[in-house]
Amino acid sequence: MGDFLGAVGDVLTSSTFYASAARLSALLMFAAVGELVAERAGTLNISVEGMFLSGAFASALGYHLTGSVVLGLVVGIAGGLLIAALQANLSHRLPADQFVVGLTLNVLVVGLAAFLDSNIKPVVEAASVLEIPLLSDIPLIGPALFGQTWPVYLIYPLVPAIGWLLYRTRWGLEVRAVGENPQSADVSGIHVNKRRRQSIYVSGLAAGLAGGVFVLGLIGSFDVGMVGGRGFVAIAAVIFGGWTVKGTVAGSLLFGVADSFRFTLPSLGYQVNPNLLAAMPYILTLAVMMFFAYRSRQPRALAQPFIRGLR
Amino acid sequence: MEVRELTKRYGAVVACDRVDFRLMPGRIQGVLGENGAGKSTLMKILIGLVLPDEGSIYVNGERTVIADPLHAAHLGIGMVHQHFSLVDALTVWENVALGEPGSLDPGHTRSRVSDISERYGLDIGPEAVVGDLTPGMRQRVEIIKCLARDPQILIFDEPTSVLTPAESEQLFDVLRTVVREENRAVALVSHKLDEIMRATDEVTIMRAGRVVDSMVTADAEPASLARAMVGRNVSLRREAAAIGAFSDVPTPLDQPMIPAREGEPALAVSGAVAGHDGALVLDHLDLRVWPGEVVGVAGVEGNGQKPLADLLSSLLTLDEGAVVVSGREIPSGRAGAMSRAGVGVIPEDRHDSGCVLEMSVAENLVLADPDSVSRHGVLDRRALALRARELIEEFEIRTPGPDTPLWQLSGGNQQRVVLARELSHRPAVLVASQPTRGLDVGAIEYMNTRIKEAAESGVAVLLISSELEEIAALSSRIVVMYEGRIVGEMDRADLDLERLGMLMGGAGVGVGQS
Repeated sequence: MGDFLGAVGDVLTSSTFYASAARLSALLMFAAVGELVAERAGTLNISVEGMFLSGAFASALGYHLTGSVVLGLVVGIAGGLLIAALQANLSHRLPADQFVVGLTLNVLVVGLAAFLDSNIKPVVEAASVLEIPLLSDIPLIGPALFGQTWPVYLIYPLVPAIGWLLYRTRWGLEVRAVGENPQSADVSGIHVNKRRRQSIYVSGLAAGLAGGVFVLGLIGSFDVGMVGGRGFVAIAAVIFGGWTVKGTVAGSLLFGVADSFRFTLPSLGYQVNPNLLAAMPYILTLAVMMFFAYRSRQPRALAQPFIRGLR
Repeated sequence: MEVRELTKRYGAVVACDRVDFRLMPGRIQGVLGENGAGKSTLMKILIGLVLPDEGSIYVNGERTVIADPLHAAHLGIGMVHQHFSLVDALTVWENVALGEPGSLDPGHTRSRVSDISERYGLDIGPEAVVGDLTPGMRQRVEIIKCLARDPQILIFDEPTSVLTPAESEQLFDVLRTVVREENRAVALVSHKLDEIMRATDEVTIMRAGRVVDSMVTADAEPASLARAMVGRNVSLRREAAAIGAFSDVPTPLDQPMIPAREGEPALAVSGAVAGHDGALVLDHLDLRVWPGEVVGVAGVEGNGQKPLADLLSSLLTLDEGAVVVSGREIPSGRAGAMSRAGVGVIPEDRHDSGCVLEMSVAENLVLADPDSVSRHGVLDRRALALRARELIEEFEIRTPGPDTPLWQLSGGNQQRVVLARELSHRPAVLVASQPTRGLDVGAIEYMNTRIKEAAESGVAVLLISSELEEIAALSSRIVVMYEGRIVGEMDRADLDLERLGMLMGGAGVGVGQS
């Protein structure tokens, strides 16, 4: 036990821990705030995992072809949107079940990305680190918040933008109404399934960007196993956050921190079973879900398809 | 606004049958009819939620097709919905803003909400979250949302069903302002006679999808309205003719049964209170059924019949009151408790709760009591097949075989499966909720005969039906439900249709008591 506390202490005083926690949290946050929009409209969008991976591969490909991080990210977003288009149109235009579609897409993306990856073998480099002068010199949290590669910083405008979209625009109002009570929204003259499709596109955009940031901002390479369930953890962050923007940000931070423990502990010289360590964020996710599943109030029409005329 | 020859069909059911209807500025037009008479469908057509199959709609003299609610709003038609169109999680002003065009302007919307609530005396805060409001206050929000678009035509669909008497009075005040001072046209849809008499200028009476009468309210009498609504002399039903009912006063199937009604009742519900969404669905309901009698529960649909059936299927938990079956008190809402105590239920919607369409006839027949054909939790296929064959024979179920999936059977035969299942474990009480809805003549006759036979064999039968013909033909005693209570009772021998109609419409109960 003493060893354990010592290890935790070491980790908490290591600036690499804060830097990696911030990176991994930001990564989840991209996917999670997008997922939040889809869920507020009533779609439990499990294909966010596939969008994430699709975005990661597409950005690697984009960088491979153009040599530009900016274009790499743009192609990554397109990769996320592609999966979003399939999810949105199959489950909210055609009457396919959203979970069946989502599961299928997730499996499809893994296979497709592995196939293309082994054939094209995209060569990727991470974007350069952009240290914000003065701010990045703050001990511990300075490098974490202001000493990252530049794509990571995109999270700073994205979070308030999502908040604005959901709470300050008519579109956001309609999205929230659609997720709570689609029949009422329909009666009020809102095209329910159109709003749901659009909100899935927002999720695809954000998850695609998450994949791009992962490849071009964090790792500098692509591997099919790299996303490894982080899309699902993003869903958990939304649930943990009680379907609010602030809560989702907090959830992303929590899971990001847990994720970074498993990277920081070995790098500080501690010997922990790597498999056990890798399982830690997911054990935490399960524990959190058990606790928060009762507490929070989800959008009332979450995961319920809308068919006109049915009450 | 005017509609002519409007017709809407749902499959074989004609919801609106060549309906003519008119709304004039400065007048309140009442629409009276039982549930299922086509009132709501007509209103949904006017607001663009449902497209008519035939007929024409004129707004301000011009022929139009109302494609969706947004289009209706554009034409100046607004509706205050029976089932609210509000989103619980949003605030009052957000709900008012919902579905309007243009960009979101919270400040402007808030002040508009305040203006309207002041002008009409509808006191409400724009920042309140709708889910926290009482049904009466939610309706105010609904009205404000509607008035915010300045409609020329306002439609109110059963507006007082969730209101207290004082709130209803206030609503009628608003209606008067809207009509007399602002010269708008109002349609008030209701099945309550009181309300129609008090609030409307003219009234249109609908029954079975047709307009059966139209008159100036001041010249109408409640009794004649009641008669027109329940349709004594205008029975359009072939079914009624088929079971020999309804020449003038319906005759019972054969001789009136002589109910014993001594000793202990098989079923006794006392002081039952249950709420749903803030409204009482059962309001101190008292009911007793003795072995051998058929008690018919008459009433306009939506007055607590479904909660009563749910209560006896263990689907509803009481807030107050008790259910006693054969002398034992049965806890409400505990899955299977009523069934074990000997209450058999033929549910209102056999597709929804009566049976599993994808499973075979045999499996459905033992669904309520799989223990009877299994050993140590393992189904005995042979016993199952044997039992299924017995029941198929006994209840004359027409099926290719016991393993045929239920959905391949006709509605009448599906209902026989449900009946066989419920009667096969010898219940003390049989609850039949709308048992013949959607069935053809032969199937109806069969069901009715079986129900009567069950009663003769000593089962206490509670028959819940919106078909007065059916109730009159089968019951030995009739009770009337209105707003979750039993408001009247008469023996079959003393059947008085006029009084029955009045009771069903809530007349003679007085709005003040609810």
